Amino acid sequence: MSVMKTTRDVKGVGLSIPRPDGPDKVTGKVQYVADITPRGLLHAKLLRSPHAHAKIVRIDVSKARALPGVRAVLTAADIPELKGKPASRAHAVLAIDRVVFAGQPVAAVAADEVAIAEEALDLIDVQYEVLPASVDPLQAMKPGAPPVAELGTEADLSEAMAHSAVAMAKGETPTKAVNVSQTAHVKRGDVAKGFAESDVVLEHTYRVPMVHQGYIEPHAVLAEWDRSGNLTLWASTQGSFNTRSEVADVLGLEENRIKVIPVECGGGFGGKIRALCEPITAILARVTARPVRYVMTRREELEAGMPAPQVIIRLKTGVKKDGTLMALEGETVLESGAFSGTVLAVSAVFLGSLYKWPAFDIKGSEVLTHKPSVAAYRAPVAPQSIFAIDSQMDALARALNIDPVAFRARHLSKPGDPMANNQPWASMGAPEVLQKAGAHRVWKEREAWKKGAKPGTLRGVGLSLGGWLGGLQPTGASVKLNPDGTLSVLTGQVDIAGTNIALAQIAATAYGVDIDKVKITTGDTDVAPVTGLSAGSKTVYTVGVAVLQAAQAARKQTFEIAAAELEAAVDDLELVDGKIVVRGVPGKGVTLQSIGKKGNLYMSKVEPVIASSHPAFSQQAPAFASQIARIELDPDTGEVTLKDFVIVQDVGKAINPLAVEGQMQGGAVQSLGMALTEGLVYDDQGRLTNPSLLDYRKLTAADLPNLETVIVEVPSPAGPFGARGVGEPPIIPAPAAIANAIADATGVRLTEAPLTPERIALALARRGAG
Amino acid sequence: MRRFEMILPSSVDECVKALATHGAGAKTVAGGTDLLPQMKNGLVKPAVVVDLGGIAALKGVTNGAGLRVGACATARELELHPEVRKRYTALADGAALVGSVQVRNLATVGGNLCNAAPSADMAPPLMALEAEAVIAGPKGERRVPLSAFFTGVRQTVLGADELLVALVMPAPPVPPEAGLYVSGGSYIRHTPRRELDIAVVGVASQVTVQNGRCVKARIALASVAPTPVHATAAERALEGQPLTPERIEQAAGLAVEAAKPISDQRGSADFRRHLVRVLTRRTLTAALARARA
Ligand SMILES: Cc1cc2nc3c(=O)[nH]c(=O)nc-3n(C[C@H](O)[C@H](O)[C@H](O)COP(=O)(O)OP(=O)(O)OC[C@H]3O[C@@H](n4cnc5c(N)ncnc54)[C@H](O)[C@@H]3O)c2cc1C
Repeated sequence: MSVMKTTRDVKGVGLSIPRPDGPDKVTGKVQYVADITPRGLLHAKLLRSPHAHAKIVRIDVSKARALPGVRAVLTAADIPELKGKPASRAHAVLAIDRVVFAGQPVAAVAADEVAIAEEALDLIDVQYEVLPASVDPLQAMKPGAPPVAELGTEADLSEAMAHSAVAMAKGETPTKAVNVSQTAHVKRGDVAKGFAESDVVLEHTYRVPMVHQGYIEPHAVLAEWDRSGNLTLWASTQGSFNTRSEVADVLGLEENRIKVIPVECGGGFGGKIRALCEPITAILARVTARPVRYVMTRREELEAGMPAPQVIIRLKTGVKKDGTLMALEGETVLESGAFSGTVLAVSAVFLGSLYKWPAFDIKGSEVLTHKPSVAAYRAPVAPQSIFAIDSQMDALARALNIDPVAFRARHLSKPGDPMANNQPWASMGAPEVLQKAGAHRVWKEREAWKKGAKPGTLRGVGLSLGGWLGGLQPTGASVKLNPDGTLSVLTGQVDIAGTNIALAQIAATAYGVDIDKVKITTGDTDVAPVTGLSAGSKTVYTVGVAVLQAAQAARKQTFEIAAAELEAAVDDLELVDGKIVVRGVPGKGVTLQSIGKKGNLYMSKVEPVIASSHPAFSQQAPAFASQIARIELDPDTGEVTLKDFVIVQDVGKAINPLAVEGQMQGGAVQSLGMALTEGLVYDDQGRLTNPSLLDYRKLTAADLPNLETVIVEVPSPAGPFGARGVGEPPIIPAPAAIANAIADATGVRLTEAPLTPERIALALARRGAG
Repeated sequence: MRRFEMILPSSVDECVKALATHGAGAKTVAGGTDLLPQMKNGLVKPAVVVDLGGIAALKGVTNGAGLRVGACATARELELHPEVRKRYTALADGAALVGSVQVRNLATVGGNLCNAAPSADMAPPLMALEAEAVIAGPKGERRVPLSAFFTGVRQTVLGADELLVALVMPAPPVPPEAGLYVSGGSYIRHTPRRELDIAVVGVASQVTVQNGRCVKARIALASVAPTPVHATAAERALEGQPLTPERIEQAAGLAVEAAKPISDQRGSADFRRHLVRVLTRRTLTAALARARA
């Protein structure tokens, strides 16, 4: 369409423009849910079970109700609508008769002050009959293990759907063992024959514990009802429409009676997709007829949030001496906690699809345990799966004495190759990413660098490659021209990653004005077009298309109005510096301002420029990242010092390189945390032993080296301007990269994350002794 | 956090009186970096909080024949104090490791010791420097060697109506004053994370050397027993001996025997024993190097 011709480069796509919300965030001016304090506000607190598995014999709330300043004390018995719903975390608002994880809420209080609510919790008397708990997922699968679910176990696939991660080729469904809530099976070729003909067979079991997303802002919600029975929720959420649906489901309310206002969200990383504390807060607000706010503490977050599943992967791989891949056998166990909801299929597909195994047989099970149920965490299950398959590839290359990059490159899948589920790989840049990483100085010069190790220390360099298949979800956006010639863009998209600046850049370029003329607004669920989750690396990839199409349509409308006014053909017009002019006729033109004004003027006959788009999608855009770690290792203490870290990532098209680099670095830091220090540690009763940020160790700036970013652009066919998702890939490779670097430095292969000093030092001491 | 009453005494006497009045329901607060998280998490629920911040006698670091460190001196003060950095290096090392700069600006030495965590980073250096605790109570002042101050996890010799006023310790000899005596100290801990972490094991060593022989060795360990402990067998094995690498290695092995570690979320008993050996060797080596420097 010729109206879409660019007449002059506007300030938009491709420029590094700082996020406009940055200064307010770092200076503390931004209002989060915890800052919103309407008149008459009450504060909520939840009494949580100290036991992982117990029968509730009796709850006595009379003393708590009698405490001055307490406005409501509720147990499940007070909320009849909770009965009879299928077992899910969202439905487990307050425990009914039985608790299934330590930290599960059993009673709720609303009071005038937080301190009063806390005192009321002390006055609630709960009598438990403690039951044996299933704590270790492998034990939980065995006959006789304490069952987690009451009546059979239902697979909850909504998380998998939300991320649109993979379509699973359903294999035969094996009979489910105790506490197994979901299974998956993919196979191809003759695995037994493959192993029989292999020269080298390696088998390792990889384990990554439950980890917490670690968003800075804990879960928070404010609920208020009006006199007509409409509910407003100010929520810290990754998807206001999803929050609305889940709350409507729990409360049995029509969706149009709930307005979710997405307040500035201080991070989510997958942990703020599903409803958690919203329903109970809404119920307290209804019972008290007052606004009620609930803000979780960090301890509650760690004890009773929705962390990532523990992942245990046994891999057996066979290769020929010349490096030919023969067979892969895999067994994946995802620990889902008390309720089903993992993206089991992602793991199987990654293990079997990234490299071209002629024969593979991969079985997966989702297992329930008496722990908090899990949720997504940035590229759910991908870092754990890549930890396994990439460590295994690295170990094979070392065993065969083949260059690790050349070995991966030789066997890496390319677009069109079949994935484990037999669908073809879409356009993707894994080969380009690997090639760029392999050519990077930090990788190329590794042998020379290692020679510089100080006496008493070891040096190692590790590289790994991982990716994300990409998410999809229908979405909408609208663009309107204002009377002063500026553009307003409306979506319902929660900006948790700097996506609004990228969307503004897309609108600017698509319409043909500079970015400073564009403002993006995130509307609430009453006013915004339907928008999907801010998750799965799909915000810019999908909402970007909606904005692009809406801006193009608005441009077309604008040109048509100008054409009528200028008595010229649309095709003869161009937009230059806010003015639509007839090409080759200097002086003849009409400003955007005048078109905008006419669309808003009393008695005007010119239609206002308002365009919207609400596309649905079918084509995912896989995106890959490779990371290279240079480490120095103290063999006596096991301490690892990161000296250099490089992130190479295919982003399709960097709409805003600065924001893209921020995502690459932030993702890498989370990935390194998973690699080196993070893990929720439970005792044998299923109680968390490290419920604080002192002992749940996120990395600090002091632990990190310079994080070098290398952007690769292999355009996606369907993304706006060729963009791919950028959020998930950078969290994937580091656990494997660090394990590979440790193997390079010491010759010891560690397979259990986090790769702590203790694990390293004791492994080296054992080897020394052995 | 529960509601509580706050008392702001301006002298040691007033403070002791307040504590005597309110008994076990009262808690003193200095920097609050231990107490506040404990109160927020509901681990302690004092009805009365007595703030030590307004008591001048608890503040400051005084250098004379030895060192007097007020109970409310902050970790940051100790870390930056020129005399502490020069002569009481193990203490400077320990203070510099506490939390982050923000935490160290609040964290006091008194709070570190009275909180009585086995992992307290300032305890082993002060024990290695043979510090004494100056304690005030209704009957006046008493002194207790720091090595006898801790009685269990989160337990000390302090009565409910007593408070820690200061730590006093003799000056480690340095030339030229002490002729051929030279002394040096070091504290090293292991943490999985570089900052904002709690010692899996911490070791402080202070050695005094005369004519190439060790005349005094003090080694104290954190996080390997219910209280910080001296590695006495290791100390004895060094005294009277030249500090050769072999001797140091032998002492490191003996130090392991003083450790009675448990396994917890911060580290297994095996790893802790392993670390005691490594860090004893390293702190003795560093202490010796500093003595000679
Ligand atoms: C993020 C963070 C990191 C930390 N990192 C470290 C670390 O690396 N190493 C380490 O050792 N500690 C660490 N801590 C713990 C804490 O900071 C230190 O123990 C600090 O020295 C405590 O001092 P305070 O003045 O804050 O004590 P407060 O919290 O004020 O008091 C602690 C306890 O001592 C009692 N008390 C205080 N002063 C006296 C007195 N004069 N007489 C009698 N009783 C008294 C109080 O009643 C209370 O029970 C950390 C804490 C945080 C929050």
